[in-house]
Amino acid sequence: MMTASTGSLADRTLRLLRRPVLRRLAQAFFVAFLLMVFAFLLIRLIPGDPAMILLGDQATEEDVIAYRKLLGIDGSIPSQFGRYVSNMARGDFGVSIRSREPVLSIVQKRLPVSLWLTVTTIFMTVLLALPLGVAAALYRRTWFGHAFQIGASVLVATPVFFSGLVLILLFAVQINLAPIAGYHAGFPANLYYLWLPALTINFVLAPVLARILQSSIVETSSEEFVEAAIIRGTQGWRFYWRYLLRPSLAPTIAALGYFAATVVSYAVIIEIIFNLPGIGMTLVDAVRNRDYPLVQGIVFLSGLLVVGLTFMADLVNGWLDPRAKIR
Amino acid sequence: MLPVIDAANLSLDRRQAVGIVGESGSGKTMLCRALIGTLPRHGAGIVSGTVQFDGQELAGAPERVWRGIRGREIGYIPQSSLAGLNPVLTVETQLVESITAVGSLSRQQARQEAVALLEKVRIPRAQQVLKARSHQLSGGMRQRVMIAAAIAQGPKLLIADEPTTALDVTIQREILSLITQLRQELNMALILVSHDLAVIEEVCDDVMVMYAGASVEAGPVAALSKAPRHPYTRALRVSRVDRAVPGQDLEAIPGDAASVGSWPAGCRFWPRCALADEACRRDSQPALMPIAQQLSACIHAERMAELEQ
Repeated sequence: MMTASTGSLADRTLRLLRRPVLRRLAQAFFVAFLLMVFAFLLIRLIPGDPAMILLGDQATEEDVIAYRKLLGIDGSIPSQFGRYVSNMARGDFGVSIRSREPVLSIVQKRLPVSLWLTVTTIFMTVLLALPLGVAAALYRRTWFGHAFQIGASVLVATPVFFSGLVLILLFAVQINLAPIAGYHAGFPANLYYLWLPALTINFVLAPVLARILQSSIVETSSEEFVEAAIIRGTQGWRFYWRYLLRPSLAPTIAALGYFAATVVSYAVIIEIIFNLPGIGMTLVDAVRNRDYPLVQGIVFLSGLLVVGLTFMADLVNGWLDPRAKIR
Repeated sequence: MLPVIDAANLSLDRRQAVGIVGESGSGKTMLCRALIGTLPRHGAGIVSGTVQFDGQELAGAPERVWRGIRGREIGYIPQSSLAGLNPVLTVETQLVESITAVGSLSRQQARQEAVALLEKVRIPRAQQVLKARSHQLSGGMRQRVMIAAAIAQGPKLLIADEPTTALDVTIQREILSLITQLRQELNMALILVSHDLAVIEEVCDDVMVMYAGASVEAGPVAALSKAPRHPYTRALRVSRVDRAVPGQDLEAIPGDAASVGSWPAGCRFWPRCALADEACRRDSQPALMPIAQQLSACIHAERMAELEQ
């Protein structure tokens, strides 16, 4: 038996990595690194660069080259990448080419709006999908089950930019329960601006999550242990929570983690429809301007957020369902 | 509507042990489900006939009545012990549930009761097992826990649906002898379902043989194993692995078991029977008739000797 202090550094690292949570964390770091690479490469795949866009059609070749140097995007791709990585390692995300504002401060200003949108959305998803999924599973042979099946398909197939506009017409124009657009920071006042965008996204997310939950519960309900519990005389909330819901939650929570991630991409469309000053809108502008540092910063940081959320979903799952404990 | 069982008659006294034997698909499990009132969960129901317990009619009884019966009066050990325990809950949670379903015990008392139950089913280190979840236990342990849960409320009747099928042979014996011992200690009647006649012989007094949704022979275990009066019972007996003679082919029943929805006309066993003749194909499934010490549904029950050649 070796003690922790023996062996080379590599050995010790490997042994540490055998601890499940640490290994999962290492995976997360690896994903973060890949994100960094992708963020860097993707934006450079689009033709045109910030120097050309900023200087316009009339600029001479020499002007463009000089301006590139000024912006720090000269040299070969590998050398640019090297600079980018070493800057990142020092926590330096660079400066927006367009506004000359530090990327980090832009993200700090814009990200909270998108985060609030994500949190509100996911909270609403759970609130809607949990009772809906359970009811759809328990009453799947009744009219409710059939109506749910059809309704869910229709909602999922409706594009959010359409349902968003319909909801604005209904709730903001007709009955005035929400603003047409805009945002004010600060909880809980911001919920007034966020609930309609969140509901729009949930026209897609909630039915999907409810369907996932429904099918898990249906699957669970045919398990032998459910029959055993009925025969033992387990009843009421105990029965529903312990024997139907809890053993069925793993796929739902995993999906929830993933959904939280997709809200970031929905945010792009939703923030435009509802005119929310979030990260999605900033990202669209940044791509249009080929604002390399800003695009990289946003993609990397929001990606990091997604990795964190999925990691959290895994942890929650391990706690709820010992079979799914991170291995 | 698809008939699954159309001829089965079973009655037992307190302290009696009856076995139900037959191939898979013969309706054994469905019969058990009818006896504990969980058929509707499987999209099935009782169309005709009665289920009586202590003089109380249970066929078609409302769920409220069944709740007073299940667990309290009739204990049940499900078919697959491996899936019988909730994977996300500890053994303790599930046992305490069983215990507190009757009477009002404090948490502490229920816990002590749970330990006592585990000791009753001969589980060593009961304290540790209480804290375990299904996947941390061996197959034999899980089945012992299932038995503990089934007897928690002191039922008068225990129904065990293939309690040893998923276990390896040495564990099978232990579980069977445990069930036998508990039956005597706790003064319970037993219905034991198995596809293995040897298992039934070991534990039961009486046996009912089922084929394609009908009971084809019934009577004392000793009589049926010594002198079966239905060709199917005999076939089950001679195809037993423990009776095999080294070097000789094992006798198997020719053909496949008739499956639900495609029962043959006439006696349902005729396509696989050596005694079958025109009458067997023509007439409908025969009813059980007394012969010797048992009941047989074979119109050629007297000609059984011919099969021994």
